[in-house]
Amino acid sequence: MTIHSKSTICPFCGVGCGINLLLDNNTITGVEPQASHPISRGQLCAKGWSTAYGIDTHDRITQPLIRHKQSFKETSWDHALAFIGKKIKDIIANHGADAVGIISSARATNEDNYAAQKLARAVFNTNNVDHCARICHSPTVAGLNMTLGSGAMTNSASDIFAADVIMVIGADPTENHTILGGHIMRAKLQGTTLIVIDPRKTRLAKLADIHLQLKAGSNIELINAMLEEIIEQQWHNKDFIHRRCEGFVSLAAALEGAMATAIKTTGVNGALIHAAAKAYSQASNGMILYGMGITQYVSGTFNVISLSNLALVCGHIGRPGTGINPLRGQNNVQGACDMGCLPNVYPGYQPVDDIANREKFSQAWGCRLSLQKGLTSLGMSTASLQGDFHGLILFGENPVVTDPDQNQVRAALKKLDLLVVAELTMTDTAKLADVILPAASFAEKDGTFTNCERRVQYIQQVVSPPGTAKTDWQWLADIAQQLGSDKLNWKTSEAVFSEMARLTPIYSGMSYQKLKKNHGLQWPCNQQYPQGSAILHREQFATSTGKAELIPVHPVAIDETTDTEYPLTLTTNRLHFHYGCGSMTRKSPLLERETPAGILFINPADADANQIHHLGPVAVRSRRGYIETRAICTEDVPPGLVTMPYHFREAPSNQLTNNAQDPVSKMPELKACAVAVTPLAAGCQPRDSDTLHRSR
Amino acid sequence: MQSYQLETTQTLQYHLADHYQIYQRVDLQNGDSHWQSMESPQPVTPLQKLPISSPKQFFFSERENLFSFDGECFRETVPEPEPFVLFGVQSCDLTAIAYQDQFFAEDPYYQARRKQALLVGFDCLTPCEYGFCHTVNAGPGVNPDCADIILHRQPGGDWLVLVSSLKGKQALRGLNLPAADSQALVGRDQQVKNCIEQFEQDPSLAQGIDQLSNETIDNDFWQQLGLQCLSCSGCTTLCPTCSCYGTRDFVDDTGQHQERFWDSCLYESFQREASQHNPSEEAGARLKRFWTHKFSQQTVKAFGRHGCVGCGRCEQTCPGVVGVHSTMKRIVAYQAESAPC
Repeated sequence: MTIHSKSTICPFCGVGCGINLLLDNNTITGVEPQASHPISRGQLCAKGWSTAYGIDTHDRITQPLIRHKQSFKETSWDHALAFIGKKIKDIIANHGADAVGIISSARATNEDNYAAQKLARAVFNTNNVDHCARICHSPTVAGLNMTLGSGAMTNSASDIFAADVIMVIGADPTENHTILGGHIMRAKLQGTTLIVIDPRKTRLAKLADIHLQLKAGSNIELINAMLEEIIEQQWHNKDFIHRRCEGFVSLAAALEGAMATAIKTTGVNGALIHAAAKAYSQASNGMILYGMGITQYVSGTFNVISLSNLALVCGHIGRPGTGINPLRGQNNVQGACDMGCLPNVYPGYQPVDDIANREKFSQAWGCRLSLQKGLTSLGMSTASLQGDFHGLILFGENPVVTDPDQNQVRAALKKLDLLVVAELTMTDTAKLADVILPAASFAEKDGTFTNCERRVQYIQQVVSPPGTAKTDWQWLADIAQQLGSDKLNWKTSEAVFSEMARLTPIYSGMSYQKLKKNHGLQWPCNQQYPQGSAILHREQFATSTGKAELIPVHPVAIDETTDTEYPLTLTTNRLHFHYGCGSMTRKSPLLERETPAGILFINPADADANQIHHLGPVAVRSRRGYIETRAICTEDVPPGLVTMPYHFREAPSNQLTNNAQDPVSKMPELKACAVAVTPLAAGCQPRDSDTLHRSR
Repeated sequence: MQSYQLETTQTLQYHLADHYQIYQRVDLQNGDSHWQSMESPQPVTPLQKLPISSPKQFFFSERENLFSFDGECFRETVPEPEPFVLFGVQSCDLTAIAYQDQFFAEDPYYQARRKQALLVGFDCLTPCEYGFCHTVNAGPGVNPDCADIILHRQPGGDWLVLVSSLKGKQALRGLNLPAADSQALVGRDQQVKNCIEQFEQDPSLAQGIDQLSNETIDNDFWQQLGLQCLSCSGCTTLCPTCSCYGTRDFVDDTGQHQERFWDSCLYESFQREASQHNPSEEAGARLKRFWTHKFSQQTVKAFGRHGCVGCGRCEQTCPGVVGVHSTMKRIVAYQAESAPC
């Protein structure tokens, strides 16, 4: 027995907790939290504690697999790569470079993501590169860029303890960002005022001083009402607005009547809106934290802008304990965005349609580059169905389970001439692939993750990958070589990072050596801020004028409202015990035991009206799909609203969800669609999605 | 109990290394401390921070195969470790090992490891951040019943070595250490006493334990507190006396295996029955069970002591602020509020 412990970063959500992996030779036997870590401070959530199960080797893909009729057979890397190389060459020759694309992974390292976008841009010559930020915080990147000039969390996790008022909107941090949720609970116990705005009675809502239980999709109405009240009561920060903002007059004018509208449409009474407006605006330091209850609407970008308006009008930005803080979903979704795995920007958010940027990257990479923005992930699906998009490389994502309108996603992926999926285990998306490549997990490679507070943290290889599995940037480089390019021929992950840092101004002051000290660095880290930046926008905003933009936004109705056929609104939520599509967390026998494999939360009044019993089997139908699952009757959801987590492939909520999109960011409306829920015969087992699929 | 004088612990470490695999507490640069196997013994540093994980994993493995089936035969998978020494275990964790020895008395997997282990204890001379071992009779001086050898750092930097078991005596054979003088034990008692006096006074601990042990706390309290328990399993994972486990079967290339893994009574599913009936569906009921188990009179009856050794790890690791210090404070405040005027 040789026991060691090696430090790394938790691979689940965007909080980026410090963990030590406990090792017996080359086997990970357990996990412990790092007491010295600046965010997690010796704590972990249920997922973090189960990390070792998530990367268990007994069901891992260890050898490349190639499609053989309806199944797969093992093949060599050489053969798999040659096959992929030839197919891509053929597709580009026949349909052009924009007929191929890459969906990279917010679970993979910055190095992997940098390599992915470089392969697309410098080798394929297309900007068709995207990742799952499209369906979590693309409205944040778009909205905050417009108002503040930078689409990331403005403050740091530790600011939770510096705020005297915390406002959590459209987020359920004790489930999804548990360690931050815990910090918020601790701050509340220490005297901080907590305002929660959420259609559901979340754990934090139950502990809050003020809970505004708004109707799903009425965020703008509510925020505008708060703004109107703040300005009417003269609670706004005139000095801050004068010095640092533009557009106040037109914002104020556009707010007229907002309170009256909100009282009619949000379901929240005026006195509560008044109380929340007063508490937040009158705080010494007010901090906003938000999640996908803001972004996953057709109004996503406008929702973000409205929150930005609120923070700016009150002057709660640029100081400790303030700011507007998106809670990011994946361990490295911030990093995947930073690395330019988006169809419109190079690493560091440098627009691809700017000639100077193109010249810079063209020169650095020694190749011609496309000036045309690429396709988003959902754009690739649509183009595939239309016959305009033919080859996709995808890794560390499972869109068949996680993207809206599952049937459409499946059809689009099936229609491709080439689908390459690199994965740890066999997922529903991998099952549709032509070639599956075995990928190394986070514990099996070196690299960096960037957490939601912009902290870039080093992860070290702790064990060797199983079988022939490779780090993503390595097999991406192998594909480049098949296409005759040596532009991705790095020797180490550090070399990838160094190249990226040279080209990415916000990372330019970082090196592995510096990151290994002090638990990483927060961007921007450059000549001006060599020690990184805990708080953005202290003196000026990152906009071209240095001032923040106040932009009036008007309510946008949800795309699909209820009717007699589909009388309930379905929204989606997440459980503390599971992560994303569940491909890692469901390997833990403990987490798997916590809930049935698929659940629907429903108010007891709606359940009674439909003869639905607690834990009884139910059918849920929308205009796009049908699933069967079990009901959990709870007052935590209001009448008229039902919610489902998307972790369970047996009962995928994305059979039902709507892919109507936010026009700015192309974010689909995952938070609201119309459904009908009916009971199944008592005692019958809900059929899982595979069974239903076969019976169709 | 024989007592010897030792100039440097390395003399003892090198001696033991001839016969045992050595595990030591290692302080990392970032200030964290954990248990690690040593290629060669390192100088022992005074305890700055309790190791994040207790040494319970050395005996009660976080995950282990109980048996395998290869299609024809069932094969027992009881471990066969080489002799090993845990060098420098502090009193709280040693008390916990003694507690676990009782719980796992009949467990062949636990005992296969335990019988190979030599426990060298360290007296703590300064309180650690969340520790309250003296309140629950688990330190800071090592109880001779819980270790084979005890090391005590004397004011001049020398060490007093106490041999507290036959295994300890045999382990020292051939080392020829000089006997300690008669005053050394008195000096040890004094230093331990000094350490106890340095602990921050927290009367809520004793009061809370009293309330728990008399089971005087109503369910409303647990309901309130339950809202903060996130069922993360951190407390039970790090608790040196927690011993709940689950089992599962799984298949790999080599056959079918039954694995045992650490479980947590704070999970909602821990006690859920096949019918879905669950006697502890509410988080409050689970917290009540957890804390009552640690401090009830039944536990004292069964194990001769409380099920808590005062290490305070649950306080640090609980994201929901319901670790031992927080819970005891809340109990005391709640009881004061609800007491009749």
